[in-house]
Amino acid sequence: MGSTRRQFLWAMGATAASVGVRWTSDVVWAAQGSGDPGWSPGTERFVNSSCLVCPARCGIRGRVVDDRLVRLTGNPFHPMSRGGLCPRGVAGVQLLYHPDRISAPCRRVGARGAQAWEEITWDDALGQLGARLQSLRQRGQPEALALLAGYCAGSMHDLWQQFLQSYGSPNYIADDYDDGTAAVMELMHGIGRSPGYDLERAGFVLSFGAPLFEAWWSPLQAFAAFAGPDGDNGAPTRFVQVDTRFSRTAARAHDWAGIRPGTFGVLALGIAYVLIRDELYDAEFVARHVSGFEDVADAGGERREGYRSLVMRNYRTEEVSAVTGVPVGRITSLARAFAEAAHPVAVCGPDVTHAPNGLLAACAVHSLNVLMGSVSRPGGVLFGNEAPLAPLAAPVVDPRGRAGLDRGPLAPSQTPFGRGDPAMRFAGAVAAGEAGAVDTLLLYYANPLASALRRQVWEEALQRIPFIVSFSPFHDETTAHADLILPDLLAYERWQDAPTPASYPYPVWGVVRPLVDPHPGARHTGDAVLAVARQLGGSVARSLPYESFETLLKARAAGLFATRRGMTLGDAFELRHQQQMEERGWWLPEHREFEAFWDEAVDRGGWTDPFIDETEPAGLARTSSGRIELLPARLLEALATVGEGRTAYLDVAAAAAGGSDDFPLRLIPYRVSTLSSGTLPLQRWLAETPGLFPDVHWDPWIEVAPTTANTLGFANDTMVWVVSAHGRYRARLKVFPGTAPQNVCAPYGLRHPDGEPANPLHLLDGSSDPLTALPNWFTTFVRLERA
Amino acid sequence: MTRWGMVIDLARCTGCAACEVACKSENNIPTVSPDQAEMGRATSWMRVMAEPKGAFPDTTLEFYPRPCMHCDNPPCIKVCPVRATYIDPEGIVGQIYPRCIGCRYCANACPYTVKYFNWYGPEWPESERQYRNPDVSVRAKGVIEKCTFCHHRLQKAREDARAQGRQLREEDYQPACAEICPTDAIVFGDLDNPTHRVAELKEDPRVMRLMEDLGTQPKVYYLRQRT
Repeated sequence: MGSTRRQFLWAMGATAASVGVRWTSDVVWAAQGSGDPGWSPGTERFVNSSCLVCPARCGIRGRVVDDRLVRLTGNPFHPMSRGGLCPRGVAGVQLLYHPDRISAPCRRVGARGAQAWEEITWDDALGQLGARLQSLRQRGQPEALALLAGYCAGSMHDLWQQFLQSYGSPNYIADDYDDGTAAVMELMHGIGRSPGYDLERAGFVLSFGAPLFEAWWSPLQAFAAFAGPDGDNGAPTRFVQVDTRFSRTAARAHDWAGIRPGTFGVLALGIAYVLIRDELYDAEFVARHVSGFEDVADAGGERREGYRSLVMRNYRTEEVSAVTGVPVGRITSLARAFAEAAHPVAVCGPDVTHAPNGLLAACAVHSLNVLMGSVSRPGGVLFGNEAPLAPLAAPVVDPRGRAGLDRGPLAPSQTPFGRGDPAMRFAGAVAAGEAGAVDTLLLYYANPLASALRRQVWEEALQRIPFIVSFSPFHDETTAHADLILPDLLAYERWQDAPTPASYPYPVWGVVRPLVDPHPGARHTGDAVLAVARQLGGSVARSLPYESFETLLKARAAGLFATRRGMTLGDAFELRHQQQMEERGWWLPEHREFEAFWDEAVDRGGWTDPFIDETEPAGLARTSSGRIELLPARLLEALATVGEGRTAYLDVAAAAAGGSDDFPLRLIPYRVSTLSSGTLPLQRWLAETPGLFPDVHWDPWIEVAPTTANTLGFANDTMVWVVSAHGRYRARLKVFPGTAPQNVCAPYGLRHPDGEPANPLHLLDGSSDPLTALPNWFTTFVRLERA
Repeated sequence: MTRWGMVIDLARCTGCAACEVACKSENNIPTVSPDQAEMGRATSWMRVMAEPKGAFPDTTLEFYPRPCMHCDNPPCIKVCPVRATYIDPEGIVGQIYPRCIGCRYCANACPYTVKYFNWYGPEWPESERQYRNPDVSVRAKGVIEKCTFCHHRLQKAREDARAQGRQLREEDYQPACAEICPTDAIVFGDLDNPTHRVAELKEDPRVMRLMEDLGTQPKVYYLRQRT
């Protein structure tokens, strides 16, 4: 009897196995490192902290073995993350141990941008910076100091403000994410901050291009509402996404509608038309709390058209459908579903505001919340999630500082609403102005050469600034032009605070604490600023009398302890219990002593107050009339002067523009949840699979509809140049059926593995909304060429 | 009898890929160079597959987080000439790296393509050595590796429970993907224990398994989208 095939294979295997063992004999098979003499598995501990990778500020829990951070998960006590975390948060360990970290303070020795550095001591570095700032102030030019700061809400932001103010510089230049909604709230409610959305208690979320599940203020906030409470089989919040591309949010929403770029506002008013026509809106709320809805006769007896007449006259569903590309039946059904839901809320994303008619469109979207009364009530738009921290010590401004402040910011906003793009405006002013107007530029989590719309303008501006200091912990494009680098510690090594972003309905004040010993060559920028303040002495030192950033943080937390509301973070049961107590007017202290309160807040990861007081009238409107304004007088005035012929809500024409023969395709740039927009380096786990496509690794890509790719003769995976009238970059073409045939969707935040930039924002035409100066993201047309 | 299994609710999955990254972090999965990744040599024990259908604007997209299915009737085991891949009494399909000869039969036999071959020794730049998980061995060149349901966590959880003189609880043993999922789409537990959530969820009318007709009897169940 011959051997069976199976026995043969076993025999083969045995032979191969013996080869195999020799072949790999140098490999340590057991747990890693156990071959090293003296190896031990280590002692593990779990520490709660907060994530600073994106503005969401989720709670994290680090697994620390000996003194190495080996894993990050979500902090189960944090109401937003509840033990979950996004991929970028998890990959934070790759930032902590990133090979591009700067290991010591550096002084430039070669030409700017040549990346030739000499390592110096911290005393030397801080001494150099302090001396420079001292002499600048003594020369009576404190305003020649400018700070370019990325997103830094919380005490780090307040510290910088206080430092600049007492020093005498009005040039705090924000270079962070602005979704443009704060201007809308200022106009309609008299409350100048981005709104919070109570998504979890909303019954129906109608999102106008908001990337809720990808790169919104806080994807985890949206996830919590999407998935519902743990184990809840009841009807979760229903999500409907209106978007220009088939985004991941659109894919996972319960329903989605494709729309032409730049027509979000028209669709919103089409929905408003149905709500008013079919009397589906909350007439009682509108009558009690809203002005500008009905026609009015003004002082001169002249009749002024109200919101209702405007909408009924101009936004019939047929016309809206023709402009937006959303079918008539769809508009009607969206409006009905929105009106019939228990707690509907319309969310306005950055795609709405970054358009030629952005402010009007965003007002139109928010008017849906006003019509349905979804303001200052459960499941609606809410204001006031600021934690009641103790303020910093009163700032002291001496005459020299006062003179600097009085000279005003170098590049003030020229537009009636919002702040526009302060960083780009600053660069433009520096590049166009005299050399020396800015003497020293501090870079704090800002990398404009990678992220700004006009790279060349920034290059010129940097050349005109004599002294540039970067606090970046990593080498990046802009830091390469610095004269001095003072590397910051990472979020896993330092003390900071992490208040949840504006979108969260109630305050959560996360504590960031060191999980591992700090890098010996880096230092907390907060501590560095305090040290420089001490060195400067006088009013600056008196304004910042803190020994370290940790003591500053603790001093501010005393405000939370004294406020007699809220609680240190706790599990879902504790949170609900607190909510119900406060609803009934009760509050019980958890601690007698501040020290005990502080220890527990640090241990659990922060403080929160889950109670939302919807009966507070100031939460509804702080306008002079005390009502929500649908046709704010300030908006009408601004339209008359800089509106370029527009009138309130009439934004139909802007969408009509199309491509040309030279540039036939519309560019749709978008953010990807796994990538940052320039200040952080690529993390290998994320770069290996950055998006939806399992076969895209590391390379920047663009998405093109199958029909378009066919017409152009490009196969999937072709490398192409994306060319606009303003620039070009190389990317891999992916055929994706979720892209409209006339569009090219381009994620940003990627570079080629060799460092070649690939930023679709560099291709934009530079136009902006005349009312807010926010850049237009969707008005640029491109063509594709084989690379 | 304990049978470890997983239920993934596709109606909850947003395709964020936190599970993928958490798995890489937990299981010391090395990244490869961009060129190697281009050749399909990137390893991802957990992978979120995306399947777009239709044309704009009537597009749909399904996400399928795909770990090893830990089949009750695993095709990979039958072809392994050296018994390097095995199924343990509690249903976890494992891989004994020192025994694996790198023939890749199992990788070819697996209909779910969850077995990954190490074409090169793992590259661990000094920076990346810092955050390796001391509980999980690294794999050598020439062996197959795969999702283990994080069974090193089971060993630890058992020891802890024994030391505290109590039974193992559902929350004691959760793989990294289930632990991190921000929408709670991935649920893990003992399929045969009626007190565990998976036992209840696998009876849901929306339940299905991938390529069930092959007779592999996967222990990873999916709950279809709600319609």
